[in-house]
Amino acid sequence: MSIAMVGHVSLEQAKSLVEFLEIGQQEKADALIAEIQNPTNSELFAEIGKLTRQLHDSLTNFQLDSRLNDLATADIPDAKERLNYVITRTEEAANKTMDVVESIFPVVDNIADQVRAVNPAWTKLMNNEIDLKEFKTLCADIDTLLVTTGRETTHIHSLMTDVLMAQDFQDLTGQVIRKVIDLVREVEDSLINMLTAFGISAEQTQGKSALKMADNLVEGPIVNKENRDDVVEDQDDVDDLLSSLGF
Amino acid sequence: MKVLVVDDFSTMRRIVKNLLRDLGFTNIQEADDGSTALPMLQGGDFDFVVTDWNMPGMQGIDLLKAIRADASLSHIPVLLITAEAKKEQIVMAAQAGVNGYIVKPFTAATLKTKLDKIFERLA
Repeated sequence: MSIAMVGHVSLEQAKSLVEFLEIGQQEKADALIAEIQNPTNSELFAEIGKLTRQLHDSLTNFQLDSRLNDLATADIPDAKERLNYVITRTEEAANKTMDVVESIFPVVDNIADQVRAVNPAWTKLMNNEIDLKEFKTLCADIDTLLVTTGRETTHIHSLMTDVLMAQDFQDLTGQVIRKVIDLVREVEDSLINMLTAFGISAEQTQGKSALKMADNLVEGPIVNKENRDDVVEDQDDVDDLLSSLGF
Repeated sequence: MKVLVVDDFSTMRRIVKNLLRDLGFTNIQEADDGSTALPMLQGGDFDFVVTDWNMPGMQGIDLLKAIRADASLSHIPVLLITAEAKKEQIVMAAQAGVNGYIVKPFTAATLKTKLDKIFERLA
């Protein structure tokens, strides 16, 4: 801008200035002076003023939204604790179940061994080929088998009840996870509000943004297989893909 | 036959161990990620590795690559049992020289089939 332009007052502007002063419109008079002194800057200042006001309002709104503060400082740490609880409970349940199952394996194997042991003599008996001595041994073996089976099936039954009870985690973890889902939904709403306050429309960006994957490719279990075409559906798909690669 | 089971979750290691024991593998050791597994492999005469993909520290795919890159280990068959199900990853594992790929959740029958296939090929 050339210096010569600064300070050129038109007759019209002078008249308006007097008029503003006469009717006591000091603000408008000042604005007119500013415009006369530097027409470009006054527009710029007005624009900056507008933006400053918007920013101020936005910040005030955020401060008013104390819920956002609670979410960040209380609810989210609480949710982390809840999710850790889910990990702990599911791990406990898995271990409790496996403890019981592993203790049942040898018991069942023992019964199977005893059945296998009496089988040849039993077949002879059924075919009327058994002699007295073998018959006496068979009776003793079957007696042992009956005692063992009777005792161990009662034992297994109570162990199975333990397996059943170990599944009670599902109710508890289900409730906890549902709470965390509610929280995620609330955080989502708050974030959308924030975007709106900054004039970014959520819909506008929705199409563009795909989930970002970690640098090392890993994604964990795919929870939306039906909507994806870059993942395999099941083991058959894996086998087909591998065999198409000449595997 | 000496087997190394690598998974960061102890429950999954336990499941795999139980299934392998049922299939007649009794000499089984465990590691919780690739960086623990690799020195064990280098120090011991393992015949077979079953590994997860997604683990903190060294990932299963990197363990596989490290095994294939080490002349003293490169012959060891590696079976991936993983929740990773992207086609891109399966192709990557195949290119890195994996011997079998099982997606979680899986069944005892699937494990048996894959093991039979792996050892049939090596025989």
